[in-house]
Amino acid sequence: MSFDPDAELVARAGKGDRAAAQALMARHLPAMLNLARRMLSGQAEAEDCVQEAFLRLWTHAARWQPGRAKFETWLYRVTLNQCYDRLRRKPQAGLEVAENVPDPAPAADKMLENSGVTAEVEAALATLPERQRAAILLCHYQEHGNAEAAEILGISVEALESLLARGRRTLRTKLSHLRMGA
Amino acid sequence: MGKERMDDRAFADAVLREVPSVAVPAVLEARILADFDAAAARRRRHGVLRRWRDTIWPGAPLWKPASVLALSLLIGLSAGTLLPAASQSPVATAQTLALLDTTPALDLSGDL
Repeated sequence: MSFDPDAELVARAGKGDRAAAQALMARHLPAMLNLARRMLSGQAEAEDCVQEAFLRLWTHAARWQPGRAKFETWLYRVTLNQCYDRLRRKPQAGLEVAENVPDPAPAADKMLENSGVTAEVEAALATLPERQRAAILLCHYQEHGNAEAAEILGISVEALESLLARGRRTLRTKLSHLRMGA
Repeated sequence: MGKERMDDRAFADAVLREVPSVAVPAVLEARILADFDAAAARRRRHGVLRRWRDTIWPGAPLWKPASVLALSLLIGLSAGTLLPAASQSPVATAQTLALLDTTPALDLSGDL
């Protein structure tokens, strides 16, 4: 059984230890919020999403059984499921964003400012199917290894690599006009 | 194909670095901690029942010992209400009371 660095904190939080709850938040809340923010493209929704994920944690902490699953894996999975639920409530949002993304080619020379590049990258991310987006975010931002990311998504490593390949290819196609250092 | 995938990965790394991270707002932290406090308070209220459950039937869900207790009370109350009335007739009760009121017929003055 591999060591779970969060197991003790979760057990203490389940017994009402506020300091343990704050330690868990310090460890995971920033990464969860950024994951949700990039999945949902909206700050308010992302905050609701992570608040709901932590509420589930507080509800289940007393019954958490170490060894069944790594805590961080469970927490990220709950966060992503919350994101999927919100994305599916407005199914056309991603397509609308895609339709409204302006053709970058004519304005490429104006889009090299940081804020413009950020907006373009965010828009391109928003056009990815949710599972490709999740795979890209987990591996590129959250710095999870392929095995960890596959476990969070509940898929095989091969399936994850396929999602990553397709997502990266789409990003490169949509953002090829941007001059990057790579 | 392999080199192309590496290029795609390197490109994705480069473009994704352009999206900055967001800081956690203090208001959000406060809301999440408030949820924690509310959940902890709920657990404390239910803690009395859980301690009772663990004393009587460790590891069982709360409804099991509660159901057994309810059933026991029902049986006990039913027996206490119905059985004494069934075992005593009004005539027997009156005779018992009459015997208790009379002086016993014992003569202890005679020789044995």
